[in-house]
Amino acid sequence: MNFEDKTWLQRGRWLLLIALAAGMYVWSWNAAGMQPSLLIEGAPKARGIIKDLLQPHLFTRPEEIQEAETVIEAPCSGSPPSPAPDEGSSDGPAVQIEPACASAEDPVMVSGFGFRPNTSGRLHWAPAGMQGRLRDEQFTTDAQGAFTVETTVPPLLEQQGGVSGVVAQVEWESGALQPSEPLRTTIEKIIETVFLALMATTLGGIIAVPLSFLGARNIMPRTPAGNAVYGLTRGFFNVMRSIEPIILATIFAIWVGFGPFAGVLALSIVTIASLGKLYSEAAESIQEGPIEAVTATGANRFQVVVYGVVPQIVPPYTAFTIYQWDINVRISTIIGFVGGGGVGFVLRNWINQTRWTWASVAVWAIVIVVWLMDYTSARVREAIV
Amino acid sequence: MLEIQNLTKIYEDGTLALDDVSFTVEDGEFLVVIGLSGSGKSTLLRCINRLVEPTSGRVIWDGEDITAASQEELRKIRRQIGMIFQQFNLVKRSSVMTNVLSGRLGYVNPWLSLAHQFPREERERAMHNLELVGIAGKAQNRADELSGGQQQRVGIARALMQNPKLMLADEPVASLDPATSHSVLKYIEHLNRDQGVTVLCSLHFLSLARRYGTRIIALKAGQIVFDGLPEEIDDHRFKEIYGEEAVQVEVR
Repeated sequence: MNFEDKTWLQRGRWLLLIALAAGMYVWSWNAAGMQPSLLIEGAPKARGIIKDLLQPHLFTRPEEIQEAETVIEAPCSGSPPSPAPDEGSSDGPAVQIEPACASAEDPVMVSGFGFRPNTSGRLHWAPAGMQGRLRDEQFTTDAQGAFTVETTVPPLLEQQGGVSGVVAQVEWESGALQPSEPLRTTIEKIIETVFLALMATTLGGIIAVPLSFLGARNIMPRTPAGNAVYGLTRGFFNVMRSIEPIILATIFAIWVGFGPFAGVLALSIVTIASLGKLYSEAAESIQEGPIEAVTATGANRFQVVVYGVVPQIVPPYTAFTIYQWDINVRISTIIGFVGGGGVGFVLRNWINQTRWTWASVAVWAIVIVVWLMDYTSARVREAIV
Repeated sequence: MLEIQNLTKIYEDGTLALDDVSFTVEDGEFLVVIGLSGSGKSTLLRCINRLVEPTSGRVIWDGEDITAASQEELRKIRRQIGMIFQQFNLVKRSSVMTNVLSGRLGYVNPWLSLAHQFPREERERAMHNLELVGIAGKAQNRADELSGGQQQRVGIARALMQNPKLMLADEPVASLDPATSHSVLKYIEHLNRDQGVTVLCSLHFLSLARRYGTRIIALKAGQIVFDGLPEEIDDHRFKEIYGEEAVQVEVR
C-alpha cells in the first residue's frame, strides 16, 4: 500500500513537472512572437540584402563617360532645326533622332554610332530652358559601337516648347583597380577600433591590478575590515559586469561627446570589472608552497614577492589581459553604434543609408579582425601559461 | 647543537599540534621524525625556522634563541637552515636555474636580486649544485617539466645554495616512488655524512627511517612517544606509535 502510494506520488510529480514545462514553452512561444512561416514568406525581401552583404564593395575603377548630343523640336514649327554640326573628329560618337520634330508621346527612334562597343549607356532628354535632364531608356552598344532606341517624346518637352537636347551617354570603368571608399574607411576605422580597445584594456588593467588584490580572499586579512573590503570589491566587480557596455557607451557619449574617447571610457569600465574578477581569481589560486620555500631561504619580503609571488601571477594576468583586448575589440564594434567611435560607427551609418555593399565591407572586416585576434591571443596565451 | 625546549603550538582554530615537546639534536645527527599524519611532524619542523610561530617554548641553535630573534636576525638564521618539502615547493613556471638561485637570496645583494641579477660565482655555484644532484642538463628547463624525483633534486640544490649547517626535510619522499625515494634520501645522507650537515627529516615509512636515521623521534598527537635508536623500535613500540591496527609496510 505504502509502496503504491509512493509510486503514484512520484508519477504525479513527474506529470506536474512536464505540465509546468509545457506551460512555460507555450508562454515563451507567444512571448517570442514565433511565426516560422514568415521566414519563407519574407525570404524574397531579404534576398537583396543578403546578396549585397555577400558582395562587399571592395574595389573600384575610375569611370569614363562618352556623350553625344542632338536636338529635337517639340512641337513641330514647320522649320525643322538643323542638328548642331559635329565639331569633333568624324570618328567621334554621334546621335541622330528620327523624326526631327514631334509632339508629346509621339514615337521616335534614336540611333547612335561611333560609341565604345558593347558598353551600356542611357538616353537623356535635356528639355529646352531647363538645367536638369530626364532619364530615359537604357541601351547597350553593339560590336560596332552603334545602338538604336525606340521611345516616345516626354510631355515635358512639348510643355517647354522649342528645341530640346537628346543626349546619349555610355559609361564604363577603366584603369587599375583601386580600394573603394568603404574599404579605405573601414581599414582606417578598424585600426582605430583595435587601438581604442588596446587603450581601454591598458587603462582598465592598470586599475584592475590593485583592485584584484583587494578582491582576493587569500590576500585580504580575515578581519571585519578585511572582509568588508573584500566583499565590496567583489560586489563592485559583479555590479559593473552586469551593466551592458552599450549603456555605458551611451552615458559617456553624452558626457564627453561622440567618438573614440567615449568608447575608451566605456570599455575601460567593462575591463576593470571583468579583469578585476579574473585577476582576483588568479591571485586566489597562487600556491603557498613556493612562497614558504623562498621565505625559508632567508629572503626578505620584496625578494619573496619577486621570486615567490610574481612568477605565479604574471603569466595568468598577462593571458587574461590579452584575452580582454580580444573581447574589447568585439565589444567596441557594438558600442560604436551608439557613438563610441571605431568601425561600429561607420557601420551604423552605412546601414542607416541602406548601403549594404558598403556595410558588408565593415562586417567582413570585423569578422576577419576578430578571428585574427582570437587566434593570435589564444596562441600567445598558450605560450605564456 | 639544536635545543627544543617545551615547544607548544596551538593553531587559531584550537588544534593542539605540538604539546610541550623537548629534545636536543647534536651536530652531525640524522634525526628522523616519524608519526601518523597530523601527529605534528610538519609543525615541529616549521617551528624551528619559524615558518610557523610557536605558541610557547624556545628553539635554541648554537646558543642563539631563534624564537626570540628579530625579523632581521631571523633572516640571517634562516639562510643557514636549508629546507626541502614534500611537494618540492618549486616555482613551477620559473626555470630550474632561477629556482636554485633563489636559495641564495639571503646572501646576495637584495636590490640586484630583485632585477634577477646574480654574480657570476653564484651562477657557477648553482650549476655546481645541480651537478651534485645530477641534473645540470635541465638548468634552463621550466621546473614543471621535470619529474617528481628531479624536482625534489632541484629542491635539494636550492637548499644547498644556502651552505646549510642544518637541513630540515619535511616528508621529502612522500610524493615519490620507492626507487626515487632512495636516491633522494641518499643525497641527504651524503650531505649528512660527508659534509657534516645536521639533518632533521620527517618520514612516513619506518623502514626508511631505520635505513637512514641515526636516531628516531616519534610523535603522536603532538607529544614525543619515542626517542631512541632505530633498532630499538620493536613491534610493541611500533603499535604504540602507529596504533593497534597498523601493519608495517616496507619500502625496500
